Amino acid sequence: MSEASRREVRAGLEPALARLWRYALVLSRARDVADDLVQATCLRAIERADQFMPGTRVDRWLFAILRSIWLNEIRSQRIREGGGFVDAQDALTTDGAREIEMNITASAVLRAIDRLPEAQRETILLVYGEGYTYAEAAAALGVPIGTIMSRLAAGRAALAKLK
Amino acid sequence: MSDNDAELVALIDNELDESARGALLARLAADERLRQRYEELREAGAPVAASFDELLRQAPLARLRAALPAGEAVRGPSRRFGGIALRELAAGIVIGLIAAGVAAWAFGLFGDRDNWLSAVAQYTDLYTNETFTPLTPDAALQATELSAVRAKVGGNLTPENVALPGLRFTTAFMLSYGNHPLGVIAYVDPTGAPVLLCILGNRAPDAPIRADRRGDLSLASWSDDGRSYLVIGHMPKERAVALAQILEPRV
Repeated sequence: MSEASRREVRAGLEPALARLWRYALVLSRARDVADDLVQATCLRAIERADQFMPGTRVDRWLFAILRSIWLNEIRSQRIREGGGFVDAQDALTTDGAREIEMNITASAVLRAIDRLPEAQRETILLVYGEGYTYAEAAAALGVPIGTIMSRLAAGRAALAKLK
Repeated sequence: MSDNDAELVALIDNELDESARGALLARLAADERLRQRYEELREAGAPVAASFDELLRQAPLARLRAALPAGEAVRGPSRRFGGIALRELAAGIVIGLIAAGVAAWAFGLFGDRDNWLSAVAQYTDLYTNETFTPLTPDAALQATELSAVRAKVGGNLTPENVALPGLRFTTAFMLSYGNHPLGVIAYVDPTGAPVLLCILGNRAPDAPIRADRRGDLSLASWSDDGRSYLVIGHMPKERAVALAQILEPRV
């Protein structure tokens, strides 16, 4: 299984890069952190390729690695060092200095998502951006399905106020 | 956020079971304010997926690719074979012919040795995720191919009987091993990795399912009614046995 595992992981990395980066940005709200997080995820995936189960989804496995690095290493380290991240304004729609070019609706929606708590942002991305079912999202995030439902409802309620 | 929002959003996302869905639809029919809220939440979520797609376009792909460990960028799972990538060959040539040709080559290596499992393992290891993936037969072609294999090796090889969870049928074709007919049914999993069901008409005595490994391949084989069967692919041994257990009473 190990050679097959390594082969699938190697083949799955490059096609997943943009989606990994998006997940990292939604979690961290910082573009430089997102870059580092994706790089760390790729390295960890190659190191642990033998643990990948051939025939299962590489992208979902990579997402789980990224999430684990974010929660257990990067975020917790930042919190230890100084109380977390500087609360950047509109991190999903600017690069810190300038506005990212995008259509008005997307910009407004992403600004609203940007203001949601991390758990809601992450759940909304996985279900509406990545197509996880509620059960898949619950398993990936280690929470009950009812929590997924309430996070999505809170997210949609916040977006409904944009109107 | 109101008390009903979570349920309304689950209805929008098609995540309610039948009874909860029916009950909520009945309440919606009778409650105009609830219908308004349903509509607000539905509209609020409509542009979310497209908005997230904007972030994909911003991903610094060149920088991320450059940061991949050496040798990992843009490398698919194809193998080099005689200086030509099988993936490239498969693009323009009838794939079944390649599959059969590789098998014939592997059988040549083994000659008359009574070890058809090793011979099948040899050629299975040469198939890539691209070998069978482009094949998408319709129901009529699937039935025709299975009928041709059934005519040679027997058994109950119907589309329903050979259907397996998590695997897609791609093709069925005939080979021979040691002057015995050998039917091959090729599937792919969601990643394109091949899984084969092989049926050898060798008049072997009945034998229960036995699990085995050849390199990275898992095998589950059994014999019944004068035929030997083999499920083989890059997967955990338990998965191969589970597939064999599904097939054994059917085929």
